[in-house]
Formats: sequence, C-alpha cells, structure tokens
Amino acid sequence: MSNLDVLLLDDEPIVGKRLKPALAKVGCEVEVFQNPVEALKRIDEKDFDIVVTDISMAEVDGMQVLEHVVAKNNATKVIMITGFAMMSLAREAMEKGAFDFIAKPFKPDDLRAIIARAAEALGKPIAFEAGESA
Amino acid sequence: MASPLHLKPAKAPNAMIEAAQEKTEGTAGQGAINTRHERARDFEEARKALLARPGFSVRAQIYLGFALVFLFTLITVIGLLMSIYEVDHKVRFLETVNQYLIEIEQARRFEKNYFLYGTNLKDGLDNVSSANRILDSNKDQILSITGQNVYDQMLSNLKEYEVLINRLLALGDTWDGSEANAKEALTDEVREQGQNMISLAAKLALKERQALTKTISRARRMHIYFLLALLAIMTVNSFILARRVLDRIEQYKTFAQRIASGDYTLITPKRSYRDEFTELALAVNQMVLDVEAREALLIQSHKLRAVGTLTAGVAHELNNPINNIMITGHMFLEDYESTDDEERIDMMNDVVNEANRAKAIIANLLDFARESGSQLAPLDMAEMLKDTIALASNRLKRSKINIDFSSTDKLPRVHGDSQQLRQVFLNLILNAIDASQSGGNITVTVLPADEPHYIAVKVIDYGTGIPKHILSSIFDPFFTTKPQGKGTGLGLSMSQGIITKHGGQIRVFSQEGHGTTFTVTLPVTTFPAKITDETHVSPLY
Repeated sequence: MSNLDVLLLDDEPIVGKRLKPALAKVGCEVEVFQNPVEALKRIDEKDFDIVVTDISMAEVDGMQVLEHVVAKNNATKVIMITGFAMMSLAREAMEKGAFDFIAKPFKPDDLRAIIARAAEALGKPIAFEAGESA
Repeated sequence: MASPLHLKPAKAPNAMIEAAQEKTEGTAGQGAINTRHERARDFEEARKALLARPGFSVRAQIYLGFALVFLFTLITVIGLLMSIYEVDHKVRFLETVNQYLIEIEQARRFEKNYFLYGTNLKDGLDNVSSANRILDSNKDQILSITGQNVYDQMLSNLKEYEVLINRLLALGDTWDGSEANAKEALTDEVREQGQNMISLAAKLALKERQALTKTISRARRMHIYFLLALLAIMTVNSFILARRVLDRIEQYKTFAQRIASGDYTLITPKRSYRDEFTELALAVNQMVLDVEAREALLIQSHKLRAVGTLTAGVAHELNNPINNIMITGHMFLEDYESTDDEERIDMMNDVVNEANRAKAIIANLLDFARESGSQLAPLDMAEMLKDTIALASNRLKRSKINIDFSSTDKLPRVHGDSQQLRQVFLNLILNAIDASQSGGNITVTVLPADEPHYIAVKVIDYGTGIPKHILSSIFDPFFTTKPQGKGTGLGLSMSQGIITKHGGQIRVFSQEGHGTTFTVTLPVTTFPAKITDETHVSPLY
C-alpha cells in the first residue's frame, strides 16, 4: 500500500485538523492549508496526487486553485468542497477538470470514498471500502 | 475572510424595553418613528386638538363679509333716503314761504299804491287772507320747521297787519283836519308791520336755504364716504380671505413635500379656530397613517427580498459549522477508543463552539428578518455595523471584496430602530458590492459628523461611480440601474425614508470611475440627565 500525497485546503481550521488524521488512517500523507495563496505556493513546489479544496474562500477561490493545479499537473486529481450544492458550479468544476465534487456538510467517509476512487483512478488503490466504518 | 457572526446578548424582557422607550420618547425629536399603537394615539390626539377649536369656516367668512357689506349699504341708503326726504321737505317749505312772501308783497304793493295814488287798499286784504290761508293750510309743515313761536308770530303779524289796514280803511279818504295826523301815524305803522312780515319770512327762507345747501352737501359727502368705506371693507375682507385660503394652500403644499420626503409628522392645530381646512388636515393625517402602514409593509417585503438575496450565502455560511460538527462528531465516534481525554474534550469543545456559531448566524438573520413594530433604543453604531457586515460577509467573500471597517472610539449612541437602520446599511453595503469589481475594496466607517450631536456613517466603494445625469434620481422610488428582476429600485428610496424618520440625512457623493460615498448622518441620543442615571436603560444593548 503506497502512500498518497494529499493537499487539503479549507479556510475552516477544524476541517484540516480533523480530516488530516482521518485521511492518514487510510494511507494518505496530508498537508493542510487554510490560506489558498500558501497552498498554491506549495503546489508549485510539489506534485500532489490529490488536491482537496474548498471553493468559497477569500482572495483565491477553489476554481482558481483547480485551474492552477490542472495547468501544472494534469495527473493530479482535484476534489472540490463547497457549501452550496449548486449544479452550475459542479458542472463548471467538472468541465474545468475536477475529479469530483463534495458538498458540505459531509462525513469523513464520504470524502474517503471519493479519495479511494481517485486513488483507484491514479492506480494507487488505498485500503478503504465505502461503508466500511461508522 | 472568516469573521465570525456576532451574537447579541439576550434582550431584556419586553416590558423593560417599552419602559425605556416611554422614557426616551420625549427626546426622540421631530420625525422620530413610533410604534403603530403610539401613532394611532398621536393621530387621535391630533384629531381631537384639531376639532376642539371653535369653528370659523371660510364659508362663514364669505357670508359674514357679504352680510357686513349689505348692512353697511343698507344703513347708508337709509341715511341717503332720509337726506332726500329732508331736502324735499325743505324745498316744499321754501315754496310755501315763497308763496306767502308773494302774497305779502302783493298786499304791500296795494298798500304803496294807496299811499301814492289813493287807489284800492281793500284789494290788499284779499292778499292778506290768501297769506293767512297759506299759513293755515301748511301749518304742520311750517310748524315742523319753525316751531310754534315763529308760526304764532307770523299769524299775529298777519292779523295785526289786517287790523291796521282795516283801521286805515275806516278812516276813509279824508286827509285833512285832526284825522290827518292819526292817519299819518297809522300809515307808518302799516308800513313797519309790512316790512317786519317780509323780513321775518325772508330770514326764514334764507335760513332754510342754508340748511338745504348743508343737507345737499352732506348727502354728497355721504356718497363719497360710502364708496370709500365700501372699498375699504371689501379690500380688507378680500385680503384676509385670500390670505387665509392661499396661505393654507401654500401650507399644504409644504406638507405634501414634507410627507413625500418621508417626514410623517402629523398635522397639529396652529390656528385658534377650525374651518374647512381642518377636514383636509384630518384627511391628510389619515393618509399619513395609511401611507406609513403601507410603507412598513413595503419595508418588510423589501427586507425579505434582501433576506432572500442573502439566504444562499447564509446557507453556505451555516454549512461550515455544521460540516465542522459532522466531521468532528464522526471522528469522535470512529476514534473514541484511541483518543485520550484531552483530545476528546477538545473535540467536544469544537462541537459546542461550532453549534454556537451556527446559532449566531441564524439569530443574526432572524433578528434582521423578523417582523415587528418599531423598537427605539440607544444603538451602538459600531456594533450594529459589524453585525450588518457579518450578514453580508458571504456576498463579500464570493465577490472577493475586502471590507475595511473603522470606528472612532466612544461614539455616542444613536436613538433608533436597529432593524430598520441595519436594513439601510445592508442595502448600502450590497449596493457597494454590486458597484465594486472583483477584488475591490469597500470602506465602512463611523465617526462624529461635522454638525454637532450627529454621527456619520460612510459607506465607500471604489467602483464605477454613478453617472452625473442619474445622480439626482437615485433616491426616487422604483429607480434602478440593475437588470430587470435584479433590483426593486426601492432600496435607496426606502433607506432615505427610514433615515429621514430618524431625523437624519442620507447624502451621496460620486465620481465616475472613482467610486461612490454614501454618508448617513444620524442624531445622537440625548437623554435628560435623570434618565442617564437610571441603570435599566443601558442593559438593553
């Protein structure tokens, strides 16, 4: 089981604080950011397997992060998190090359399931079955 | 931008709010907003005061004016008729005196002829009896002018003259001897008596002629004075009447302008009497009350529209704490065995804090959206503006607009309705967001205004600015530059109404390409000293 490099970007500190150990448990090496500018800087430095980003943030929004990642490394899977489950936004994200879309509020397992699918797509499957744990 | 929404401290019981309101009511100043119940009471008071005055209608003044002119004319006409009667009477008397004089003169002509030529003196007696007849038949007329004494004298003169002539006739034609002397003496007596009669009648005639001239000239003066007085009466009455009506029309024009600008002060009695305009005042007051009620509805519906605009953002804002709670809760359950107490406590603290955050977001929104009567309270403008900015925080975030808020320390409080003022500032902030470009800045600042006892709130954007030609219409109802369905065009008009009712002003300064500044000035709370000391006022906020 190979480790997945994951960058998690959300301006809510609790999201990173709680999801980092949650994802670590399924074999992800997680770097947490609250500031999108710093996250972009880190993305420039390192190729991540998966980028999980909130859409609605001040300064730089998730869409810009998505564009940045896609432009830099097409292989990286980008998972979008958003507060509003709006189809237009989902479609826009998918058109721009996002891997998937997850709406707040979500359970850690919901994100794990999407990450597992992304890992599958990357050819680096992780030990997670949807509905495996509470 | 993760500015937490503000949670207000729990409010004092309603009774206390109302008590505080009663206290501050008197200081609210002109145009302050009251609750609906108070307005109904004010209306009733104004109605009673308006109707309590004694009535003096415009109609009554018109009737009174005409009645006065008629009465005056009547008196003058009676006076003139009496003058004419008097003139007529005097003329008749003069005629009578004239006839009397003619008869006497005729008698004296016979008397003279007799002395000169010894011709028939007897014929003179006919004239004397004619004169006597004239006096007798015009007795009443003569008596009314000369009085009994003069009349009696005229009669006795005539009688004596007749007696003297008869005595002269008795002496016969002889002019000699002892009789000649007696005849001579008698002749002198007759002459003298005749002369007396003539002079008395002529004096009478002269006197009456003078009186007649006087009467005629008096009548002439009366005509002129009457015309002048009539002119004066009619001028004064028309002037008073015109001023009364025109002044009122002018006054109601001012009322209309005042009401249009949002000042709903009721009309109260200014004059000491009531008239047709009182009915108008009552109708206008009723209209003001109705307009006010309708405006309250309009403000509420506009507010709900703003809430609608904000809802998507608020839902998103709410999803964050809920998401945090969900993630934390799940991880708590999943890792319960492997986490130590400290970590568990940290997680549960997060859950509680995030739940509070969600509660605050909802409270802030509901606080804004709730429908209620006006509640006047001393407001901390800085706190209120922070709450308002929090309401718009998601819109700001989505449009990537940074908002700078600054406030002068220890600003006095503003006496007002927090909901309505928040609506005004939310409206200005949302407008500023619409005017700004992505990544732009908005400045909100509260500071003492240039005028004393006022504070100013400035909402500044650095967007496109408002073109000069529409600057004058932006406060007009239904004026909007937004695409159809996006704006009601009521925001600024309603904001102006709300601010005017608070006794403040809303001004705009805009430069095309450089941005727009909206400045709202509001009067600060001025409590009478005794109320400032009372402790139950301050815990409200």
